[in-house]
Amino acid sequence: MPDVKLVGLRKSYGDIKAADGLDLEVKDGEYLCVLGPTGAGKTTLLRMISGLLAPDKGKIFFDGKDYTRTEIEDRKAALLSQTYALFPQLTVEENIMFGLDIRGSDEKLKEQVLISMLDLVRLSGRSDAYPRELSGGMQQRTALARALASGADLLLLDEPLRALDARLRISLRTELRSLVKTLKMTAIHVTHDQDEALVMADRVAVIRDGRILQIGTPREVWDEPATPFVANFVGQSNFFTGEVLQSSPYTLIRTPEGTVLKGRPSELRPRSMAVLGVKIGNTDISKERKGYLKAKVERIIFEGRNLHVDLMMDNGQRISSKVPSWRKGKISPGDVVDIYWEESKGTVFPMPPNGLENELKVE
Amino acid sequence: MDSLITVISRKRFRTGWTAFIIVFFLFFVILPTVYILSYAFTNWGSIEQYVLDDPDMLDLILKSISASFQIAGIVTVIDILVGLPMAWMLVRKEFRGKALLDTLIDMPLAVPTAALGFSSAIFFAITPETLQAPSFALNAVSSPFLLIILLHVVFSYPYMVRSLSAILIQIDQTYETAGRTLGASALSAARTITLPLFRAGLVTGIILCFARSLSETGGTMIALATMANSQGFQTGPTIIGMWKPLVEDNSDLAAPLAFVSIMLILLSLVLLVIIKLVIMKVHLPIGRIWPRPEKLFSRGWFPKTKDGLAVFFLVLFVLIPSFFIFTYVGSVEPTSFDWGPFMESLLFSFLVAGVVTVIDIALGVPLALYIAKNRTGKLSEVLDVLVNVPLIVPTAALGYSLGVFWTGQNIIPTYDVLLIILAHVAFTYPLVVRNVAGAVEEVDPAFEETARTLGAKPVQAFRRVLYPIIKSSILAGAIMAFTRSLGETGATQAVVESAQTAPVYIVNLIKLQTASGYYTAGLACIVLIIVSFVFMLALRYITNRRSR
Repeated sequence: MPDVKLVGLRKSYGDIKAADGLDLEVKDGEYLCVLGPTGAGKTTLLRMISGLLAPDKGKIFFDGKDYTRTEIEDRKAALLSQTYALFPQLTVEENIMFGLDIRGSDEKLKEQVLISMLDLVRLSGRSDAYPRELSGGMQQRTALARALASGADLLLLDEPLRALDARLRISLRTELRSLVKTLKMTAIHVTHDQDEALVMADRVAVIRDGRILQIGTPREVWDEPATPFVANFVGQSNFFTGEVLQSSPYTLIRTPEGTVLKGRPSELRPRSMAVLGVKIGNTDISKERKGYLKAKVERIIFEGRNLHVDLMMDNGQRISSKVPSWRKGKISPGDVVDIYWEESKGTVFPMPPNGLENELKVE
Repeated sequence: MDSLITVISRKRFRTGWTAFIIVFFLFFVILPTVYILSYAFTNWGSIEQYVLDDPDMLDLILKSISASFQIAGIVTVIDILVGLPMAWMLVRKEFRGKALLDTLIDMPLAVPTAALGFSSAIFFAITPETLQAPSFALNAVSSPFLLIILLHVVFSYPYMVRSLSAILIQIDQTYETAGRTLGASALSAARTITLPLFRAGLVTGIILCFARSLSETGGTMIALATMANSQGFQTGPTIIGMWKPLVEDNSDLAAPLAFVSIMLILLSLVLLVIIKLVIMKVHLPIGRIWPRPEKLFSRGWFPKTKDGLAVFFLVLFVLIPSFFIFTYVGSVEPTSFDWGPFMESLLFSFLVAGVVTVIDIALGVPLALYIAKNRTGKLSEVLDVLVNVPLIVPTAALGYSLGVFWTGQNIIPTYDVLLIILAHVAFTYPLVVRNVAGAVEEVDPAFEETARTLGAKPVQAFRRVLYPIIKSSILAGAIMAFTRSLGETGATQAVVESAQTAPVYIVNLIKLQTASGYYTAGLACIVLIIVSFVFMLALRYITNRRSR
């Protein structure tokens, strides 16, 4: 089972840079999710690893060996595409056996693999069916079985759950991950769905404009985002800008209105401009308790488990908060509430060179 | 086998193979097709001497070429006017006998134009005594110009209906429904919403009809030979057909032949560009709406009359002329005839068509794959445009150009059979390429890509995954190429004067203008029709199975 290393991959289509110096290391047997908005270069990344696309610059290593120019079929990296690409003229069985057939494996091995695969993906009863006769979930499992049976060591998943309905998508997350883990494969899974990435991955790599912004465990990416963009893309955040007063033992920031806000310790120099980001789920509101800021409740959206509250601050900035639903009767539109957060939940970033608005933009 | 797959999967081999295919296409298809254009540079002196300085000759050539273009223009307009209601009916309406009507439309496509020419001329034209046309023939047309228009409508009409209905099926009807729920009458909605989405289909239809009419030789020659008095009327392609056999003894005709070919090639290419530009760019003032009259025309007698007229036109001007030959052969006094030469020519035609089809498939499918898979590449874009050239250039001019090209080179031996095959490859090759390229483009590239990541080499990915999906399109392309080759007269005559394919044989029979000649030609036509019909049915069977 290989570890994968990408060094300085570049690929552009005209002016668009789909990969802009991509560096990435995936450990042997790891389940890595690449998370990013549409057009961030996720698919380009997968296509370069699989060999379907040649990078303009940079190198790809599998187990330390240079695979940059290796033919697609010699990489043992099976791609599972969004549409599954099950061959319509072949049955489930023939689809699963495709990889072994091509390599001319002997019948005994084929039989063994087929039985174990059908068993693994629970399709033993449908081996003679054609792809169009299967449900979305079955198609997905067939495509997975086909990739697993091909003898590939590396599994490349391009939004594999996208075409499924919401409930199935959620149940297949854990199933897919445990299958890959059982077979001890290395998996690179790209998605734009943060929940999917957080639930499935050993590590998450957040990608934007062809560059990896941060790579870490789901908890690290969630709790300690490297940039305001990551803070906002992985769980929505509220942002406050101001001037740094001190940076340890906790960071203090003074807003233009003179309010002082607290966040985690940082290495920012005093008097530099900074951005404080707080996840909306960590942004609490209260009528009783004194907070950092005051804001007026504009509307409350009932989301089942939570309430999503949109607020307007005195300076005109809009922020949001997520609070448990049981507080429904206690706040109503028009109320003026106090805003507060635990200082350990406030992450401080240097002011992005292009301004906060550009930093947060998702094309 | 494995080692073979390994060898042909090597990058270097693949690059070499692609290069070979492109070179073949450029050198064996495109270059010979337009080679005659170079004659204008190398032999301008003889063009001046034999054409430009000879007023009678120049007059004859210009008259016939302008007749060709006028006919093609008029035919195309008629096709649009009567083809549109028919296409609309076939796609948008449900009625009893729709399937039958759908089949009837395609019938003339199955009949080789040589047979169509004879059949419709007997029906429409005032014919000589010796022909003994049945008394219930129309027997009315005395103008050769009009007769040729009628003939060309017969065989180009199905092309127009097919192109229009193909695009009409693709247009989402919800736009029109939305328009109607917003208060537009059926006619207003169709005219302002659906028709503008129609341009692409219209361009294809117009180009197909125009090119087919411009190119038609065999049927035209036969129709002219069949009518009582053709007043020396000629079109561009028939002039080439008439002069080519004479040029060996009379080398003065070389320059006029080249001149006619050059004019036909240049004008048809220029026209192709103009049609594309005009239709895609010109903004029609279709935004205006006349609610009251359009509402009136949307219901009641008008739509019914329109549909009725469309069917009436189909029957009287397309179907009856196409198959009148059967009543003719049935009603005329049988004379003795010799099957031998005809069967020989038919066999020869089959041989040519078979070889041509094999070449088309073997070398056309790779080009189609290249074009379809490199859509963004400059080279593929250029090739895609070039593929249309042999479809547009009148086949008689193509044949003459190709003959001059190969006999002037010492690269390959110039046996007659070989030249005929090369000429037929030139104009059938694009049919296969376009058909297959279209099919490949519709296949999700993810199939082949996934196959590759599962360990398949490029050849295996094609054979195991892509080929089964596009098989029927390849077969459809092959049958189209086969029937086109089987029915071709113009290119055959123009490339080799002594060629004896079945259509050429029929043309020569009719030119004898004897009773037994006519009768034998009639029988030969029927055999040709039946043979082509079998292939046509096979084609329909295959394409229907594909769409299922």
